[in-house]
Amino acid sequence: MRYKVLTVDDSKTVRIIVKKAFKSFDCEILEAGNGVEGLAVAAKEMPDLILLDVTMPVMDGVEMLTKLKSDSALKGIPVIMLTAEGGRDNVLKIAKIGVRDYLVKPFKEEVLVEKCGRVIDLKPLSDAPSKTKSIFDPADILVVEDKPAIVQQIQDGLKHTPWKVRGASTQGEAIDACSKSPPDVVVVSLSLPEESAFTLFRLIRTNVKTKYTPVFALVVKTETTQQQQAQTLGFTSIITKPIDAGELESKIAKAMNLDTSQRYYAMEQDCLVMRLPENCSPAVLAEVANYLKPKFTEAVDAGFSKIVIDIHQIRSLHMGVIKLLMQAMQTCRDLALNFGLVGNPHIISECKGFEDTRSWTFYESIEEAKSSVGKSSSAQLAGVS
Amino acid sequence: MPATAEISETLIREYINRAVTDVFKTMLGREPSFSAQAGLAGDAPSPTSESARPQVVGTVGFIGDINGLIYLHLDVGFARLCTCHLLGMSEAELDEAGDEVINDAIGELTNMTVGGFKNGLCDAGYPCKLTIPSILRGSNFSIEPISDAIRHIYYFDCAEHRVVADILMKADDSA
Repeated sequence: MRYKVLTVDDSKTVRIIVKKAFKSFDCEILEAGNGVEGLAVAAKEMPDLILLDVTMPVMDGVEMLTKLKSDSALKGIPVIMLTAEGGRDNVLKIAKIGVRDYLVKPFKEEVLVEKCGRVIDLKPLSDAPSKTKSIFDPADILVVEDKPAIVQQIQDGLKHTPWKVRGASTQGEAIDACSKSPPDVVVVSLSLPEESAFTLFRLIRTNVKTKYTPVFALVVKTETTQQQQAQTLGFTSIITKPIDAGELESKIAKAMNLDTSQRYYAMEQDCLVMRLPENCSPAVLAEVANYLKPKFTEAVDAGFSKIVIDIHQIRSLHMGVIKLLMQAMQTCRDLALNFGLVGNPHIISECKGFEDTRSWTFYESIEEAKSSVGKSSSAQLAGVS
Repeated sequence: MPATAEISETLIREYINRAVTDVFKTMLGREPSFSAQAGLAGDAPSPTSESARPQVVGTVGFIGDINGLIYLHLDVGFARLCTCHLLGMSEAELDEAGDEVINDAIGELTNMTVGGFKNGLCDAGYPCKLTIPSILRGSNFSIEPISDAIRHIYYFDCAEHRVVADILMKADDSA
């Protein structure tokens, strides 16, 4: 839902500043230059919030507010005063008519946005709403941890990614870092002193710029009470120490809704290559399986007729891998795609030990598979002989 | 005791200093420093008459238990800089937008500054309200207050520019 914010101010400058403040949020800014115009726009557009000045020609803000609150159709619209009129008595008098908040000029744009964010659920505008971010796009990860060794460990664990990992050692530093440049993901250590991790989480959630930012709790595996507390509070996910970098990477990718298919699928020359990594954990297999049908279909749609299934990196064959490969082969048959398997000697020998995989044949290299698959009708079934 | 006479110059200086500092720091990210003051009666020279450079002068009044107005003087170059910063515009965009935009921006800066000053007076027990801003432009002009006005002129330095706050307060009359 796109929120409408009406700014009523005789100064065009203020109206422009308001527009500028909200330009990165999904909301529409309506304008009026005095109380009469303000009431007319309010009645026509039914805004979700009104920002109201006091001193204006034709009809001032106090009169407009009074009329607004006596109109049964409009009285429910929340009003935030944005005015240079800040004397105690005047503020109290205006507050009594019924305003949600009061901001005295001069004002910082961030403060205005923050106050409005308490009234309406402001959502940041996505830079490129149509394009899904991929695992190869840069991202900013903020790790809030008072032990530099842990920050270093995370930086080392994610150094193969294009993500920038920065550290903050205190709640204050983290708040500063979030307001200067809101990160894509925040990882907060629950071992920060005086439960400041939970306070920080609440502050992150009340800031309009970070209210939707995924926040992970970093906690020792055995600290179950803290983990439960984090879950109850609404942390996006729990990362346990000792840190498994692979697990952390997967969770970050999932939280950011990144397209991770490029890790496992690549269009190369005239075929689609499906590549399984060295460590095929259940999470990895689920991820690969998730993209399998859409990627194969995409290949057919793009005019490809062959698939190379490359498992030469995997260390051992287990039921999860076998099931996935059988699913891939079946999908190839359903889509009339030619396919070939590429393995390593260890995997090829392991395949001989299972009934279901005994008959599988392999190419020795991707190049060989690429050049041979689909060349003849017998090669079409290279993987299953 | 009449309101204007009750308010000491120290208090006026404190309020205007705080108001100018708040506005320029919050809205423009610049910290002005109080530089000098002049005149306690109506005989002080108008700040604009001392400067040959073209000026943009914002004016906002305050009316109530205490009455007066404040002129905020900025040279045109600084007024342009302030407008660009406030509105996030480039110089070229400002040229295209025209002087009306500068006038409005300086009017609003003056409104905020006088608002801050006036809020100090309100909280000190002298309720008053703001008037709508207006703008003067030109060079070598002189603002002549009425003979019984009390005048305070304060000079602020702000990043190689000068900002002048010319405060004119109506002497208390029994009427």
